[in-house]
Amino acid sequence: MGWLQAAPLALILLAFLIAPIVMIVIVSFWGATEFSIFPAFQFDNYEFLFSSPVTYRVFGATLKYAFITWALTLAIGFTTAYFLAFHVRSLTMQIALFLVCTIPFWTSNIIRMISWIPFLGRNGIANQTLISWGVIDEPLEWLLYSDFSVILAFVHLYTLFMVVPIFNTMMRIDKSLLEAARDNGASGFQTLVHVIIPLTKPGIMIGTIFVFTLVMGDFITVRFMSGSQRANVGRLISNDIGLMQYPSAAATAVVLLCTVLIVIAILLRFVNIRKEL
Amino acid sequence: MERRSRSFYILAAFFTLFVLFLYGPIVTIGILSFQSPQGGLTFPMNGFSLHWFRDLFQEQAVGDIWGAFRRSFALGLMVMVTTVIVSVMAGLAFRKRFWGSGLLFYAAITSLVIPSILISLGVGLIFNQLGFKIHWATSGFGAQLTWTLPFGLLIMFAVFNRFDKSFEEAARDQGATAWQTIRYVVLPIIAPSLIGVALFGFTLSYDEFARTLLTAGSYNTLPLEIFGMTTNVTTPVIYALGTLTTAFSFAIIAAFLLGVWIVGKRRARHGSDAGKGV
Amino acid sequence: MANKVKEDLGFTLEMTALDSDSVTQRAATQPDSFDIADIEYWICKKVWPTGNLQAMDTSKIANYDKIVGIFRNGKLTPESVIAQGTAPHTVGFVDGPGGTSFASEETGWMTLIPTIYNADTLGIRPDLIGRPIESWTELLNPEFKGKASILDISSIGIMDMAMVCEAMGEIQYGDKGNMTKEEIDKTIGIFTEAKRNGQFRAFWKTFDESVNLMASGEVVIQSMWSPAITAVKSRGIPCVYQPLKEGYRSWGGGIGLSSSLSGMELDAAYEYINWYLSGWVGGYLMRQGYYSAVPETSKDFMSENEWGYWFEGKEATDIITSPTGDTLAQAGETRDGGSFYDRMGAVACWNAVMDENQYMVRKWNEFIAA
Repeated sequence: MGWLQAAPLALILLAFLIAPIVMIVIVSFWGATEFSIFPAFQFDNYEFLFSSPVTYRVFGATLKYAFITWALTLAIGFTTAYFLAFHVRSLTMQIALFLVCTIPFWTSNIIRMISWIPFLGRNGIANQTLISWGVIDEPLEWLLYSDFSVILAFVHLYTLFMVVPIFNTMMRIDKSLLEAARDNGASGFQTLVHVIIPLTKPGIMIGTIFVFTLVMGDFITVRFMSGSQRANVGRLISNDIGLMQYPSAAATAVVLLCTVLIVIAILLRFVNIRKEL
Repeated sequence: MERRSRSFYILAAFFTLFVLFLYGPIVTIGILSFQSPQGGLTFPMNGFSLHWFRDLFQEQAVGDIWGAFRRSFALGLMVMVTTVIVSVMAGLAFRKRFWGSGLLFYAAITSLVIPSILISLGVGLIFNQLGFKIHWATSGFGAQLTWTLPFGLLIMFAVFNRFDKSFEEAARDQGATAWQTIRYVVLPIIAPSLIGVALFGFTLSYDEFARTLLTAGSYNTLPLEIFGMTTNVTTPVIYALGTLTTAFSFAIIAAFLLGVWIVGKRRARHGSDAGKGV
Repeated sequence: MANKVKEDLGFTLEMTALDSDSVTQRAATQPDSFDIADIEYWICKKVWPTGNLQAMDTSKIANYDKIVGIFRNGKLTPESVIAQGTAPHTVGFVDGPGGTSFASEETGWMTLIPTIYNADTLGIRPDLIGRPIESWTELLNPEFKGKASILDISSIGIMDMAMVCEAMGEIQYGDKGNMTKEEIDKTIGIFTEAKRNGQFRAFWKTFDESVNLMASGEVVIQSMWSPAITAVKSRGIPCVYQPLKEGYRSWGGGIGLSSSLSGMELDAAYEYINWYLSGWVGGYLMRQGYYSAVPETSKDFMSENEWGYWFEGKEATDIITSPTGDTLAQAGETRDGGSFYDRMGAVACWNAVMDENQYMVRKWNEFIAA
């Protein structure tokens, strides 16, 4: 009975998850000409990948984006969820405000991303406003096509993935625990550090997993928001795909997958997803 | 009523800023979509008009927005139905341990965390090498399921974690078969959550880009069309599209909330206690 | 355009919008996903060997004899010198219907039917630069630090880079369209240094990005395509497609037939091609600033003023508008770069795909990531 019920899921994952991964691993050993790929068993793709200093720099940059985005989304996501869960009093209001946060998520990611460009540009709203207020004399160049704009877009797109799981775990914290802490003379800050944060850890972990994997796998945000001036691993892969260098794309993809899976495996040691939902 | 503490106001201000941050770009494109016919994709505004919305309903020089919309909608429905059915079945299966359950669970997690471009690349490669034609309804459909199913499964875990097994035991004690128990007891109780799974499945699919990129074939889905438009269109028509899709999403959420409200009302009237267990 | 096809030929055209990388990808890997593909000549060199396209019988092409020399023997006029790079005629013919290697002269079997071509150069914002620009070297002039851009399509971008490096006198190329590894290293080296010094505001990959960069004033000098200039101008923003003394980088596109076509579908494809060359499309393209492969037939679909302005390089006698009705030039203005023969005669290099393409692509990726 159990197997029968799980079979559809297993089959779909086998066909569209496991098989593609296997295929990518196989193709990563293949060779390529300018217009076709041919079966082979060679380490050329990996050799080139590991011998190029660009690879390390790009993986470094990708991890940097992931880390900074994680830290910012965690700070913002936690604060937002904390406000919603503990400071908003009625359930209706909580749900309403929560929906307000989630609605932008239903618009096309690409449109939400490119709409930052007119905002941040040299003659964009941000610069014009700052100039008219007399804060700056010259437009700020680093607002757009920089690491700043890339991270801004990431935070904008992915904070929600932090808010939702943290809010979810916070809502399940028994309010009497907080009262008990207060009755025992704990300050608000002490309650936060010693009661709320430990109890919210599963939500934080789930949010972390989402944000980390989304940023690691991204390949268009960096391109659009940096004006192609910066690169991350996803862009290396998509550039290769665009030029039909599938084997070298596959090799990069395999390394990326290993990186992501190792980090996720470490994170999963801290949380039992199945129990915490 | 207790007086609000100072931290409340600080946090409320923070929350307001966060909401502004979330909505800023949407408002920006909302404004820009009302550019005059001569206006560009960026500020300054060249006056106001509804030109680009009208333009959206006329034939485009390149691409086929409404065809893409229809395809995305159809694909979204296909993915939605499949996601609901498959994740409910899997959710039921996972209530007991079975051979390979751990492995399947980790496969689902992998499916969730794997960089999307790998799925796109891998599925595309397989179809090419096997000589199959990639099409949004086959390869694209499968690739999207790897994204929606883990979400569906996780929601089902959340549902069954809170599920009171005594209802089921009661049904079984009354002599109901396994199928009858599921059909008449379990499904009605989890029905509201299924709407959630469905909504999730639909919107994740409707907005999915990376996994469909190399698996959609000749006919673009809406996100791919939008991506294509960013490469071919230099007019605010793309913002008009953005504004309309946002409005469409609002409409779907509103319809969903209305549905939940109506169901709730009706249940209250009939005095059924189904669903209260959730 | 699909409407006009339906009107004239009675069949429905379904178009899919793609950038040049994606077109290459589809043409090379998915012959079933298209019947006819509109691709560029240098891409043809890459795609032809995959066998996904079929050669066309020139005797079935009504206006074949009127196609300009560039696409037949390579010469615009009998005394023209053939430019570097993948000149269209070098990949325009194969030996027979099933030929896999390119023929060196006209054989009667064409790989692509030329449809559209132009000479590319740098686009500038004269209002923000305020002085004459004459050479490709200006792209790396520190004066424009943080206000320059180049396109991020490796095969074309490297050519623009080469034009700049050669103009600077840094590198003498044997053939800019087929560089050696050393030439590639040196070219990319010069640009990587410029990038690290903050010369570039952004790189663009798509047409629309280049328009926005220019229109918003983010960039004042960049590699650009002709319709992008038109798009900027039609918003009332001054923008010049600046002719440069070192010459143009040119490209040509053509229609290729999928190898999966046969019978009725093949006849329909020929019908479509003949219609394409019969003038209406040519006129439409020429009013956007491109050139038609058979200019003669397009003349009937353009006014005398338009023909004079776009093709002959004469002063406009009246307002020039784009096909969609935006004003592009006032009476008395002339086209940037002059007449057809001035522009296409000053081509320094054709878009190309190099023997060292894979190496170049890797170096290009490093440049972007640097």
